[in-house]
Amino acid sequence: MANNNLMVGLEIGTSKICVVVGESRPDGTLKILGVGQAPSRGVRKGEIVDFETAMKCVHEAVVDAEQKSDVMIKSVYVAVAGSHLHSFNNRGCVMLPEDRDEIDEQDVEDVKINAREVSIPAQNAFLHSVIQHYQVDGQQGVLNPAGMLGQKLEADFHIIHGVRTRIQNTIRCVKELPLDVEDVVFSGLASAQVVLTQHEKDLGALVIDIGGGTTDYVLYSEGAVRQSGCLAVGGDHITNDISMGLRIPMARAEKIKTEEGSCVLGNCLPGEMILLKDDSGFAGKEIERETLNTIIHLRLREAFELLKRRLEEESYLGYLGAGIFITGGCSLLSGIDHLAADIFEIPANLTHAQAAWGVTSAVENPQFSTAIGLVKFAQVMHTERPPRGFSRILGKLFSGKR
Amino acid sequence: MIQLNKNYSLPERLAEFIPIKIVSVGGAGLNALDRIVLDGLETADVVAINTDVHSLTSSVATRKVQLGRSVSRGLGAGGDPDVGYQAALESADEIREALADARVIFICAGLGGGTGSGAAPYIAQAAREAGALVIAFVTLPFGFEGKRRNAQAREALARFSEFAHAVVCFENDRMGDLTSPQAGIHQAFAMADMIISQSVRATVNLIQRPGLIRIGFDDLLAALRTRNSRCVFGYGESDSDNRAHEALTQALKNPLMDRGRMLADAIHVLVQIAGGPGMTLSEVEILMQELGRHVSDQTQILFGTVVDTRLGDRLSVTIISSLSAEEDASLLQTPPAPSGASAVSPVRERYEAATPEPEIQTEEPIVEVTTLEEMIPFEEPVATEAAPVATPPSTEPHVIPTRNGEPEPPMSTPQEKAVARKEEKGLAEKSATPAKQEVLQFEPVTRGRFEKSEPTIIEGEDLDVPTYLRKKIRVK
Repeated sequence: MANNNLMVGLEIGTSKICVVVGESRPDGTLKILGVGQAPSRGVRKGEIVDFETAMKCVHEAVVDAEQKSDVMIKSVYVAVAGSHLHSFNNRGCVMLPEDRDEIDEQDVEDVKINAREVSIPAQNAFLHSVIQHYQVDGQQGVLNPAGMLGQKLEADFHIIHGVRTRIQNTIRCVKELPLDVEDVVFSGLASAQVVLTQHEKDLGALVIDIGGGTTDYVLYSEGAVRQSGCLAVGGDHITNDISMGLRIPMARAEKIKTEEGSCVLGNCLPGEMILLKDDSGFAGKEIERETLNTIIHLRLREAFELLKRRLEEESYLGYLGAGIFITGGCSLLSGIDHLAADIFEIPANLTHAQAAWGVTSAVENPQFSTAIGLVKFAQVMHTERPPRGFSRILGKLFSGKR
Repeated sequence: MIQLNKNYSLPERLAEFIPIKIVSVGGAGLNALDRIVLDGLETADVVAINTDVHSLTSSVATRKVQLGRSVSRGLGAGGDPDVGYQAALESADEIREALADARVIFICAGLGGGTGSGAAPYIAQAAREAGALVIAFVTLPFGFEGKRRNAQAREALARFSEFAHAVVCFENDRMGDLTSPQAGIHQAFAMADMIISQSVRATVNLIQRPGLIRIGFDDLLAALRTRNSRCVFGYGESDSDNRAHEALTQALKNPLMDRGRMLADAIHVLVQIAGGPGMTLSEVEILMQELGRHVSDQTQILFGTVVDTRLGDRLSVTIISSLSAEEDASLLQTPPAPSGASAVSPVRERYEAATPEPEIQTEEPIVEVTTLEEMIPFEEPVATEAAPVATPPSTEPHVIPTRNGEPEPPMSTPQEKAVARKEEKGLAEKSATPAKQEVLQFEPVTRGRFEKSEPTIIEGEDLDVPTYLRKKIRVK
């Protein structure tokens, strides 16, 4: 890309492929220049199962984005999801040599490497290691230890890893087009970049991005990522349940889910029916609204309960000052915020990308949170990377941002 | 339940043959009768009755009765109900003879003319006295035929509704809706004949077809037995892909139905759905649900289905209901009776003396009254037809009850699988536990869209299987 300020996010989702072209403004804001999308095929639960088909769809979406934004796309940030992604928190530690007590940047780098020196399964690769905070001689909550005095530097990192080959599949799919992959980002982390403000991260917030094939979640507390993960249950499952439960084709089920579905029970008149018009190959049918809602409700309730059990393994759920933020395509289902609030017993909000402006229709659509988040992520990386001299100041900003 | 078993013990029971006669009176009646015979109806005797010899000879009916040989001398009644009535009186014996030995008598007549208005009510009376269920299909003249004719027709209709158990009344004016404005008058009349023909045939079929869920004589009586005995009728037939919907739409389009609005305050609605062996439960379900929107909650729906191979791919719907009193009042308001009034009164008195109403009820051989509640068990097992393992739709009904009580096949297998998976996982975790014998599964679990993807197994549950199945929550 000729302009260094242009960044492109690519999300290969289960239901759609989405490309967002954004421009980083000198004032630090992010402008969305164009959004390209294409229906996704060959992707299940966030992972590519049919390489050729998925590639075609990605190409379609990229071309669409190029036309809409009038930008030639050469390299992209790619989001990854899938049930193979796991995360944990780890602490790295370095002791300074006896003759020196000022922590320098090399020590900070060392501690990062040290923190990564944990055993993850052989076939897995690190996706992210996000700094939570440093400790200098037991002093908690240090954001930037470089320049401080101390003997022992510790760092808490949140590490996200996944199966190497599966991540590579996604990368390869993009590279074959051919496009350069600047970085791969866990899609939940990407969404969180634009859904949450810094203030909300500090207060403590849980982002739940319910997409077509997966439900990604990231929990922030005291401004740092504490828990994250991916549940391979999404909107597709709801559609599949509806299709099986009401015995209607998938396409019909998808339509009725988005048009009529709700996960609130007891909110409709007894015996209220929805008429499905007849179509070629499908005799018309009437279905009870309560049945439809029950199917949706049960699935989402289960997903939320699973999520709650996972998050309860650590004690951060009690520290969510800002509450729960639901985004992704499934957040368009009516009543989903109430259901989440009911299960987690924490206020839940529906949200979409906040920290961007430009094509407002895209920004305000929760389906694009991840892709816009990628651009935001890219912006942060860009500002952090280039001139070495700046990195100390901006690195602090960056680590805070995450 | 005992009653139900009794039903099953007689699975081969064909509906006992009910002798039916179709009697047409007057010129319009004869036209309708010709139509009925030409459309094909093997199971009923047809009798043509008229004063006009000319039209009688050209009729295709097998049995013909000429009225009033001396009164009208083989000519028509000249549009005078008095003449028609006198002619009927003269030939009373012949009429009785022709009507004998029938359990159900349909009378078709065009009201307004001489024979139709004058003789037909008398024939209805004779039929009732003979102990038959009398159902009249009558037409009211077009508005343009003059006020006099219309007045005669309404007078006759009033008498009809006293003698007949049910009167299905077609207003020719409303027939206009069925034909295009450009269509010739022939077509308009032909349409009237056709609708009468359809109605009669449908009703005959309704009584005589042995049904999966049978509609009996008793049901028909229940649907038709009202104080004023005017009824609403609709019949529709379709063989398209969406035949259930179309047949019902067509039935509701019947001019008598007023697009289903007439059903709104009916007390009983009798519905029979007939189709070839290919008729599915879902079609019946769709149809009944759609119909359900047109009737009120208090309405009792007498429901029957019939599988009739002769229908082939077609599916037909017959709806019969009686009109509420208020609706009727407007139609029956007879203007001050003209000349015919004096001639009519003796008939009425004589009839009142006869009081055949209770007779009819007691005379009926006792047919089990099948209420809706008893029918429900029928439906549940039939629901299994939708499942791949289930019996084909044409299976005799007596096979089905054996499945009753079992859960539905599509429900049970995924649950078993989910349980089995749990076991598998449990085994993997605790290798110390002695190996259990795996249960071989006959059917792979359907995971729908996720068939080819890696299963999502969390906490021992396969999340790709719909939640409601795993939690064993029954959804309709």
